[in-house]
Amino acid sequence: MAWGIHVTGMEQLYDAFDKLPDKARKIAAEALFEGAGVVADAVSKAVNGIATEKFKYAKGDRKRLPSPEEKAILLNSRHGVAKFRKGGVYVQTSVGFDNSGYGVITWNHAKSSNSRTKYKQGANGRMVHASQGTGASMKPVPLIANAINSGTSFMKKQPFLRKAFSQSKGPATAAIEDGLMSRLDQLGLG
Amino acid sequence: MPTEYTQLVAALKALTQGDAPNKVTLPMAEDEWTTRPETVSYGIVQLDFEADALHGDNIKVVTAYEGSVDLYSLQRDGAGWVPLIVKALTDHCEGAWSLNAHMYERETGLFHWEWAFQVEG
Repeated sequence: MAWGIHVTGMEQLYDAFDKLPDKARKIAAEALFEGAGVVADAVSKAVNGIATEKFKYAKGDRKRLPSPEEKAILLNSRHGVAKFRKGGVYVQTSVGFDNSGYGVITWNHAKSSNSRTKYKQGANGRMVHASQGTGASMKPVPLIANAINSGTSFMKKQPFLRKAFSQSKGPATAAIEDGLMSRLDQLGLG
Repeated sequence: MPTEYTQLVAALKALTQGDAPNKVTLPMAEDEWTTRPETVSYGIVQLDFEADALHGDNIKVVTAYEGSVDLYSLQRDGAGWVPLIVKALTDHCEGAWSLNAHMYERETGLFHWEWAFQVEG
């Protein structure tokens, strides 16, 4: 006695699974973009909240705050979502000041034996324009962000990046999850 | 102040190296030094912000606070304080800490370690 089982739709299912990795990666990237946007917004907000102080020279041991000029450099520099990097099974991005270039500090700080003037010429060879004054120097934006975030022996710490990352971790994860869930029907398996 | 944090601060302030005649204590300030100590190494510990909270019945059942420990040292190896600080962090925060940054200050010649930790309160 012979039994026959007929299944229809196997080819469609095969097609659907065949296209799944590409579709899933696209959906993951879209959801990740939403999540990274939450973190980037939190960083922008945190930059706005940095306390500043006007000063000419850092006096002795007193811990200073960043100058309004340094804060403006952070505000005007690129600090959004980085280019997406796709691998075999993942897609990733980063938020921060990694690729933000250089900012011009124009205040005329201590001239003698102060190595801060080393950045007069940026590490990439870019020079400060003469119209900015003789005390002007070029500083890498990530270094400014790092000095404010972690503090130095002469600058008070304001952990704005750590705060933004820690506090947006939950909302960002939720945004990625929502983004994935709302796009499930695009997988075409339903 | 969370109890775990006060215990951690007490432990960090009590850090010592060596035996009786040459016993050294690490100068450790809470929040900020008004004048920088004239020692090879010194530290700062502070509570920074609320990191996360577990909510239940419309109240915060558990709150996590994030803080940081800074070690400034003229010596590259941190004059031996690094493992002691790491041990204090492990004792009081278990796994909830990480080395956030290790930097060198060209202007002052200081090496700077920054650990971020989270405590429950």
